[in-house]
Amino acid sequence: MARAAHPDAMKPKTPGRTRTAPPMAPGEFPFAGRYRAYTLFDWTGIIYLLLGFVALRVVWALGDGESAWLAVQGQLENPLYLAFHLLSLVSVIFVGVRFFRLFPKAQPARIGPLKPPPQLVIHVALYAAWIGVAGGLALVLAGGIF
Amino acid sequence: MSEKKTFRITRFDPDQDEAPRTQTYEIPVDPDWKVLDALNFIKDEIDGSLSHRWSCRMAVCGSCGMMVDGKPTLTCKKPLSEYGSEISVEPLANFPIVRDLVVELDGFMEKFESVKPWIIRAKERAVEEGTHRQSPAELEEFKQFSMCINCMLCYSACPVVANEPEFLGPAAIALGHRYNMDSRDEGAHERNEVFRGEGTVFSCSYANECSEVCPKHVDPAAAVNQAKINAVLDWATGFVVTRGKE
Amino acid sequence: MIEVIRHDIVIVGGGAAGLRAAIAAVEADPDVRVAMVSKVYPMRSHTVSAEGGAAAVARDDDSLEMHGFDTVKGSDFLGDQDVIQYFVEEAPKELTLLEHWGCPWSRNEDGSVATRAFGGMSTKRTWYAADKVGFHMLHTLFQHSMRFDRIIRYDEQFVTRLIVDGGAVRGVAALDVREGVVRLILGRAVILATGGAGKIFPFTTNGAIKTGDGMALAYREGVALKDMEFVQYHPTGLPGTGILITEATRGEGGHVINSEGERFLVTRDYGVGTKAELGPRDMISRAIVQEIEAGRGLSGPYGDHVHLDLRHLGEEKINARLPMVRELAKIYAGVDPVHQPIPIRPVVHYMMGGVDTDIEGATTIPGLYAAGEVACVSLNGANRLGSNSLTECLVFGARAARHAVGYAKGSDDGNEAACRSLGEEESARIAALRGKKKGGEKLARIRHDLNATMESGCGVYREQASMDDTARTVAQLKGRFADVALEDESAVFNTELTAALELSNMLDVAETLAVSAAHRHESRGAHTRKDHTSRDDQNFLYHTLCNFDPTGPRLSKKAVALGKWEPEERKY
Repeated sequence: MARAAHPDAMKPKTPGRTRTAPPMAPGEFPFAGRYRAYTLFDWTGIIYLLLGFVALRVVWALGDGESAWLAVQGQLENPLYLAFHLLSLVSVIFVGVRFFRLFPKAQPARIGPLKPPPQLVIHVALYAAWIGVAGGLALVLAGGIF
Repeated sequence: MSEKKTFRITRFDPDQDEAPRTQTYEIPVDPDWKVLDALNFIKDEIDGSLSHRWSCRMAVCGSCGMMVDGKPTLTCKKPLSEYGSEISVEPLANFPIVRDLVVELDGFMEKFESVKPWIIRAKERAVEEGTHRQSPAELEEFKQFSMCINCMLCYSACPVVANEPEFLGPAAIALGHRYNMDSRDEGAHERNEVFRGEGTVFSCSYANECSEVCPKHVDPAAAVNQAKINAVLDWATGFVVTRGKE
Repeated sequence: MIEVIRHDIVIVGGGAAGLRAAIAAVEADPDVRVAMVSKVYPMRSHTVSAEGGAAAVARDDDSLEMHGFDTVKGSDFLGDQDVIQYFVEEAPKELTLLEHWGCPWSRNEDGSVATRAFGGMSTKRTWYAADKVGFHMLHTLFQHSMRFDRIIRYDEQFVTRLIVDGGAVRGVAALDVREGVVRLILGRAVILATGGAGKIFPFTTNGAIKTGDGMALAYREGVALKDMEFVQYHPTGLPGTGILITEATRGEGGHVINSEGERFLVTRDYGVGTKAELGPRDMISRAIVQEIEAGRGLSGPYGDHVHLDLRHLGEEKINARLPMVRELAKIYAGVDPVHQPIPIRPVVHYMMGGVDTDIEGATTIPGLYAAGEVACVSLNGANRLGSNSLTECLVFGARAARHAVGYAKGSDDGNEAACRSLGEEESARIAALRGKKKGGEKLARIRHDLNATMESGCGVYREQASMDDTARTVAQLKGRFADVALEDESAVFNTELTAALELSNMLDVAETLAVSAAHRHESRGAHTRKDHTSRDDQNFLYHTLCNFDPTGPRLSKKAVALGKWEPEERKY
């Protein structure tokens, strides 16, 4: 076991009467086995944070007039930005797929009288909605519609 | 009994050892043995001072959970043949260690009790009225979550349990959810309050490791995430529904 | 100075009987505080491994009379009929209570509780929860017991001695397994609910903790152990591990076949008549042993066995009604019952005998009660019907508790100084045993030799010479145990010390079993002899009592409570 867990992990409120050794985190955590995917999944949060800053930058430029807007558009063509956006796309797909795998089984068996649709239906619906919305947005941005 | 395997086992005696240490045993093993059989052989024949918990040896009592080669494992269920010639056996992760392979379970027992794992009804049914009617479909709604043997492998696998001491944890939440989904129960509101409380179910960050290691296919990850939805709905409907004094 | 903890009632054992007793005690009186003392956390109790079901009259085509007669006949007319009468009346109420407390009984389409056929039962009256009834019942009871803050649990406390003073029981001395300290847990009544002692045999469905602790505790204080010779061999256990393959496999239609593929329970006369695979357990176990001895068994790495064939039930039925059996067969026998037959042989499963109690669960020591497998009330006589014992735990756990609460109100706390003195004595004894260096014997070796002699002398078929030999060997083993050397000196969670205490309990229980068996010169129920092959109601229609005596166990007789059913030939 590599590292320590939180020193109070699973500690009872009423302490036992013998000395215990501190709890250890599972050996594969955080970078081995299935934990690697989980840790990356959590770390994609950093990408979304940075994306947020980029979005703020772009929106700010909107407020500063057409030349500022065009300048920002030009900057975004920098290969570094393109690489970052590619990475963001990959991480969003990664998170989306992982979340969509969980979503069907996270539906309670019943809410009041309502039952969820079969898991396959939920799966297909999620991807359909995602592709629909993403595809629609892409069309708008490319000037295809509106 | 011709094959030999080497076991690297955690030892810890709080009266003698500052910190846990590792002791190595090389023993002849039987091809049909589970990991537990090897531990019992070591205790019986080689080192009587090795302490570990076990009882039923048929994967239903939940006593014998340990980390084998770094993974939470029910040692009476796992064949030795699935491992190499060197095997590490350590106490369950994320729990304080009492002695050798024995961990402190009272923290779990407290979380377990806090979700009120019993049937709550406004009015108790009398014996003379007979059993409640419950259809097979209604039974299916919670049956899977009632299969938990309290082996705590899920607690050892969960990265949130490792980092957030207040988190209720997979098995406790799954058990609370089991009662919430039982058609005979009327206590979902009380349990949902616990779910939104200190041990909040929302700490779960979708690792799904609990379900990966569960030896009884309870799928606690499903329970925890279903519980999130129910807990939110319970909170939201509280604004429009009058609830009596609990 | 030994620490003293005081409650009203002390319950030893946290399985179905112990938990039911605790709940009944706190419900009987709003002031009663109950200590529940168990050497393991309650959800580890061996109740958890029961698979098949729990019996109670539920259907319109059934009656209390039928359930009663089935039980009396199943017991080979050694069961006490007043006990059986009370049992069948209370059974439906108890299982209904469990349903109210959340037990996920399997259901019929109309929402009523489903029942299945079981061995020796004339109609379907076994309530079931897939094939995990013990697991569900135990967890339901345990979780329900958590509602009561007047049930105070003492987990992983190993009771090493009953404290008896001034002619009554005053509590227990218990070793805190984690701390290594002995404490007194005192109460005006003590209820033993510690289960049976299958681990004295090498092939058993029982888990590690079934070591007869409660039986030995009572025996050492002068309480008789009753009918110890009657040991139930469950016909269908896995060879090698002894893991239980539930009778429900036969209840759902499984077949038992020999090496020639023959359903010998049907084609040959083994006394089970048209019931075939649903005959009583003692008859089926004998049949299997005889088939193997006749050369029609199959051999395997763990000895001779026969087959349990479920293939014709189909995958869907197996997954719905017997899912755990399928998993057990795959993991522990390497076969998938949907496609292959399961290797099975008779293995020790249950002890009909135990601490002698009356119908209230009371023993001859005032304040001391026993319920469940540890007790012999006697519901099961010479042979138990499957699915009666889980219900037994509930019915008599509750009855003993109610009686204990009544008794406790009228009694007193006794002399605490005397209790302390006994406790300190016990504390010193345990301290001396821990890590005991002086000695030439190995714990595991003594245990192994005990298993071997019990298997050879007290198996399915018994003979005078081998039973006498076993009784002598066990007495010798007790001497060897006094010379055992232990390695673990640690105070904290010393499982070698608890294993030694368990072995000493097993030796006492084994001795009473062998001596009782050797003296019963007849075959009745599960006690089958090659040298006395028939039942002898003239001379042996009584319960055997075995009492501790320094010169060797002393036997006596206790009358069977007969009733409306006269003993008759036991044929199915």
